[in-house]
Amino acid sequence: MTRRVGFKGLISACAIVALTPVLATRLDSRPRPPRPGARTVWDSVYSLSQAATGETAYAKTCARCHGASLSGGDESPPLTGSGFLGNWNGLPLSDLQTRIRTTMPTDSVGIYGQQLVTDVIAFLLKANGFPAGQADLPKDIEPLKAIAIQSSRP
Amino acid sequence: MPSASWSVRTLSLSLILTLAGSAGLAAQATGAKRATSFTTSRGEWPSYTGDTRGSRYSPLDQVTAANFNTLEVAWRFKTDSLGPRPEFKLEGTPLMVGGVLYATGGTNRAVVALDAVTGTPRWVHREDEGDRGAAAPRPLSGRGLSYWTDGREERILYVTPGYRLIALDAKTGAPIPSFGTNGAVDLKTDIDQTILPDLVTGEIGFQGAPVVARDVVIIGASFKEGTAPKSFKNNKGYVRGFDVRTGKRLWTFHTIPKKGEPGYETWLNGSAEYTGNTGVWTQLTVDEELGLVYLPVESPTGDYYGGHRPGNNLYGESLVCLDLRTGAKKWHYQIVHHPIWDFDLASAPILADIVVDGKGIKAVAVPSKQGILYVFDRVTGKPVWPFEETPVEKGDVPGEWYSPTQPIPTKPRAYSKNSTSIDDLIDFTPELRAQAVAIASRFKLGPVFTPPVVSKADGPLGTLARGPTNGGSNWPGGSYDPETHMLYVASSNAAPAVLGLVQPNKDRSDMDWIGGVAGGGRGGLSVQGLSIFKPPYGTITAINLDRGDIAWQVPHGETPDAVRNHEMLKGLTIPRTGQPGFLVGTLVTKTLVIAGDPQVTTLPTRPRGAMLRAYDKASGAEVGSVLLPAPVSGSPMTYAVNGRQYIVLAVSGGPYSGEYIALRLPDDGSR
Repeated sequence: MTRRVGFKGLISACAIVALTPVLATRLDSRPRPPRPGARTVWDSVYSLSQAATGETAYAKTCARCHGASLSGGDESPPLTGSGFLGNWNGLPLSDLQTRIRTTMPTDSVGIYGQQLVTDVIAFLLKANGFPAGQADLPKDIEPLKAIAIQSSRP
Repeated sequence: MPSASWSVRTLSLSLILTLAGSAGLAAQATGAKRATSFTTSRGEWPSYTGDTRGSRYSPLDQVTAANFNTLEVAWRFKTDSLGPRPEFKLEGTPLMVGGVLYATGGTNRAVVALDAVTGTPRWVHREDEGDRGAAAPRPLSGRGLSYWTDGREERILYVTPGYRLIALDAKTGAPIPSFGTNGAVDLKTDIDQTILPDLVTGEIGFQGAPVVARDVVIIGASFKEGTAPKSFKNNKGYVRGFDVRTGKRLWTFHTIPKKGEPGYETWLNGSAEYTGNTGVWTQLTVDEELGLVYLPVESPTGDYYGGHRPGNNLYGESLVCLDLRTGAKKWHYQIVHHPIWDFDLASAPILADIVVDGKGIKAVAVPSKQGILYVFDRVTGKPVWPFEETPVEKGDVPGEWYSPTQPIPTKPRAYSKNSTSIDDLIDFTPELRAQAVAIASRFKLGPVFTPPVVSKADGPLGTLARGPTNGGSNWPGGSYDPETHMLYVASSNAAPAVLGLVQPNKDRSDMDWIGGVAGGGRGGLSVQGLSIFKPPYGTITAINLDRGDIAWQVPHGETPDAVRNHEMLKGLTIPRTGQPGFLVGTLVTKTLVIAGDPQVTTLPTRPRGAMLRAYDKASGAEVGSVLLPAPVSGSPMTYAVNGRQYIVLAVSGGPYSGEYIALRLPDDGSR
């Protein structure tokens, strides 16, 4: 049975909507830049073995929507090329990790912990042509804040 | 059903009426007059595409080439708090009727009514569907909703992620008790099939906006992405019409015919019994005068492999015309026989009254992923310009059934790239060219309708295609100017799809073959971070529908950062490349075509963001642009209230959560 409970009142609704209509606001954006002196994804920040772990997870869970070749689907953006990097260029890897961890997969958000999400990111870095190194990409948010996504080699 | 729902109403009825009364010329229309007066010609936007004809056209003319650059934010509405977490894929196009803007938003697909002038909320409605909502094949906020009035009552209708049709009082947001059961119709029931495995997890949903015409509300069906389904059996995407007053089902159209119905014979070996999908997940359109509905039908189960469903598979990837009142089929045309390319009919059919060789034709035009515009006489179903059944390559995937031909229109010519060849690969420098050729050598190339192949690690990894899944045009569709008979459509040329097939483990799928790439071959389709294909990556095209000719075509979208900043391209002069977005919606006004860049860029002259651009609709010349914080992720719409024109956009993507932004000209006299 469907059950409906009514809530009335402007104050409670505004708290839910959290709306702030602003007149004549400038159309600007406020990205969170990486920390000063940050490394970039060109600095061999993941390992091939980590990318392989991420690829297995990707094939199992992500590929059904984003495609086996990461080219996206009707409902899912591509995860390679400028269609992917354009949205993330100049931002820290921590933002990408948070976005994936808190929204994916859409039907079971949060089933992948921080480690596996980071492994998938390592695979995405490999698939986008960024060089691998010896060390794994760390899963913790703080070190990821210091690594910038950069679509072109600095 | 173990779910609960609740609604929030923010303002008393009396206050709402007070506000509505001050909301401008649109709100001045009252009573019986309203039933017929809500149209884009009066500055409203009462249906998802402006009208029920797929037009996305408004004759408003306040925003022009001369003042587009001065547009400012009138208001902005963040959808973060409409659901349990922010959403990053806001695809809605709001409606505007009587000074009130209605939109879907939030990860649970809430409905919100906003003051069209200030963005102030009037009411919010949200259904909490628990596990059923969580299992939705097409979750999140959806594309929109529909509005209906008989001159007295006003209703808002939408479909929840859990596939329930909800009718709300447009004034208060309260469910209509006399509609269905307490305002809701369970769309997983009364559907001429048993939805399996159960009503909670049974795969079927709908993320589009319902269409309401002549008191009939029409609902399609959608499913999970289908390149690698877990089974060759699935629920079927029947399309239904409901009485907008009661919620009673009026008719059901079997998109996969039942035994004894015409078309059943196109499913060999009894495959119509178990094959599913074949829904209508994009926007359908209605000719209210003729009383006809146009269904753009998607692929049957298995986007890239059809061996479990031999035969042509009607009405998969067909345009189907039904009687609005009865659901009886008037005509159909199968655009792709035996679909194995994921060429869902993804765009709303566009109704166009055109004049060809001096003869008036009521036409319907369908943009497509394959970049071909299919144009029919919408009364008879006959192509306006002949389609030729063209021989196509027969593949060799074990178990697959192949159609020897596919229909290809003689006019208009394709408006986006739908083939792959060595000549299509980038040639900015000899080194990049050589790398692109080396990558391409691992794939099978060919013209449109080159079939998928078994993926082999030593090659071919798959058929490298443009069009399948996310090329050409998708759900944002096109626009049509009824005054000039020009159709405008955005499309992508540079979204590579790999049509490779692998044998799945039986615990993953009972299909013989699913989409996939043999070991170690994933990714790698870009060359030093650049598209493997030559620009333009994305375009907007204007097509003269009286002549069937392309009038103009321009690259759409700033040259991506990865191209502008590339170390190997320094010193080269590269004209604007456009961007490879297949999700660009166009809005046409009296003088302009308006569309947003699908990607974020950063230029030395401006901060990070995505541009909203205006083109002279006669010439294609860009005449203005404004910076948005993120890509436009839903088709734009426009309206006028109190003598001022507004343009409203959904923006989201990457790290930017969903937001509706309303633009208008400044107060300072520049309008």
